[in-house]
Amino acid sequence: MNVPLITEANELAIAGVDISNLSKRFGDNLVLDDISMRVKPGSVTALIGPSGSGKSTLLRCVNLLETPDGGSITVGSQTIRAGERVKDKDLLALRRQVGMVFQSFNLFPHFTVLRNVAFPQERILGRSREEAEARARVLLERVGLAEKADQHPGKCSGGQQQRIAIVRALALNPRVMLFDEPTSALDPEVGVEVLTVMRELADAGMTMIVVTHEMQFARDVSDHLVVMADGRIIEEGDPAEIMANPGEDRTRRFLSAVLER
Amino acid sequence: MDLVEYLPRLGQGLVVSLQLTALSVVFGYVIGLVFALGVSSRRPWLKWPALVAVEVGRGIPALVVLYIVYFGLPALGVLFENFWAAVIGLTFTAAAYSSEMIRAGIQSVPAGQREAASALGLSRMTSFVRIVLPQGLRSSIPALMGLAIMSFQATSLAYSISVNELMSQAYQVATITFQYLAVYTVTGLVYAAIAVPATWFSVWVEHRLARGAV
Amino acid sequence: MGDALLIVLLGLPMTLLVTVLAFTIGLIGGIPLMLGLRSRTRAVRLACRFAVDLIRGVPPIVWLFLLYFGITIGAFRLDSLSAAVWGLGIISSAYLAEIYRGGFATLPSGQAEASAALGLGRTVTITRVLAPQALRTSLPSIATYLLSLLKDSSIASTIGVADMVFNATMFARQNPTTAGIVPFFIAAAVYLVISIPVAITARRLDTRLRRTH
Repeated sequence: MNVPLITEANELAIAGVDISNLSKRFGDNLVLDDISMRVKPGSVTALIGPSGSGKSTLLRCVNLLETPDGGSITVGSQTIRAGERVKDKDLLALRRQVGMVFQSFNLFPHFTVLRNVAFPQERILGRSREEAEARARVLLERVGLAEKADQHPGKCSGGQQQRIAIVRALALNPRVMLFDEPTSALDPEVGVEVLTVMRELADAGMTMIVVTHEMQFARDVSDHLVVMADGRIIEEGDPAEIMANPGEDRTRRFLSAVLER
Repeated sequence: MDLVEYLPRLGQGLVVSLQLTALSVVFGYVIGLVFALGVSSRRPWLKWPALVAVEVGRGIPALVVLYIVYFGLPALGVLFENFWAAVIGLTFTAAAYSSEMIRAGIQSVPAGQREAASALGLSRMTSFVRIVLPQGLRSSIPALMGLAIMSFQATSLAYSISVNELMSQAYQVATITFQYLAVYTVTGLVYAAIAVPATWFSVWVEHRLARGAV
Repeated sequence: MGDALLIVLLGLPMTLLVTVLAFTIGLIGGIPLMLGLRSRTRAVRLACRFAVDLIRGVPPIVWLFLLYFGITIGAFRLDSLSAAVWGLGIISSAYLAEIYRGGFATLPSGQAEASAALGLGRTVTITRVLAPQALRTSLPSIATYLLSLLKDSSIASTIGVADMVFNATMFARQNPTTAGIVPFFIAAAVYLVISIPVAITARRLDTRLRRTH
């Protein structure tokens, strides 16, 4: 895995993400309360906080898996404002800029690993089957899974499945990558395989927003740390600094709880 | 009188029963898929007619459906051979039952599949046709196999509208030979000889699918 | 129209009678078959499995014809009502045995183990600990089966039991005009009116049971 994961990274227009005054309710429950946050192109932002703090919901708002109730989101040059009807065309355009990796992998079990990576390319980038599969094989090779190409995801370990899910998203040349607790469903020793791939991706200059409980990853890899609680950002800044010197009591309690695990 | 010389007649009847089964299952499952899509639709003008058709098809006995087609359609000026009247009636029943099985299968596909497809930027149509539907249909296979076996057994009801299938042939042979017990026992065993192994096969398939084998 | 309605409704008590009697036979007959399916002796288990599958493999109409025309001991013959009730009752026993077995199969093994660890005997374990729980989880399936039995009771009309469908066919044969099919629609409506509340209850029961588990 010495070859950089995406040699094309520099050719890509990497986008930033701008979130302003975002709010989201589920029924009577205000899960995101006036969130504003800026993610610079090519930077890595780690989102941490206790469960129920709204960090996953925030992430899912960025590619509109959740529809925000207030505020706006800008990805690259595309802005989506809450309350305005989003045309299907704009929705798809947004999602094509943004890749996402889920906690539960969500590979398509009825496709082979190769088809999982190739099929979206054919549909979204209009590549021919040969072209899409050739690129899929190259990417799988780079994460050390070339030999799994013709098997079904059910035959792969969790760590392998998550690496395939990352490759599936990368194959579409996203400008931003979202990670929703990518290692939470994995045993620690397997999570490392996935974190290694993510670290390479960060080194290659991808814009990344990562919801995580991996404090070491947050400290070593991310450029910016955002701490959330009860639907608000309670603290943000340099990861190492916040971890060494939390400015908020709730941050301190959360960190010690996570580190004691 | 020797029963053996009448066995070919039962054989002919069985062929007709199998034809009825094949036609009603093929047509029924296709229409069942359409009903399932209709019932799952958010548009009321699609949802409600489909829902009524499904509930009516499941709520009335197949025998009554056959009689309605058989006595009813000629009254409306539409004439069918008995065979086709039976195909229509059994198809309707199969469609109603299969639609619920297909719908349950589609619902069993984890929400994450749809989400992953949307997150990749696949259109709603592609996501449904290529990602959700194949998985949904796969998980409804055991139920649909069970329904095919039920449909095979239900072809025996076509006796009541004088289609020359296995049960009608059995009735005629029994009336000629007066060997009621023997004829109906043999007939029952013929049905069972197909239905029972088919059931075991469907259980085997269900286990394989459950184990995630493809 | 008035005649048609009357003639169909006159068959309703018979429809219900056949259904209820066959269901009762099934509820009771299913118990020994279920115990056989769960037997610790492999031969018993296989024999019961084969019997249940065979009974279910023969279509109801064949069962009814077999019992009605086929059973003659001297001058003795089953009348059409008895043939229908016993035929459908035998079939119900097989289906209900399978439903009961399914109910037991979903119980966590810890229940039987806990009961054994407390020193309760096998009989007490089954009747007081396992059976009530199994019955609870089986209730929706049992209700659904009752509905399919209600519909299958129409097959009794083919051996001359004067239920709703039998009366409707008599009417249709005497009135080979458009009016002839009216009774079938009425019968269909009656089946729906009976089955829809049961179906709704079964669905509610099912969601409630799922929630508590």
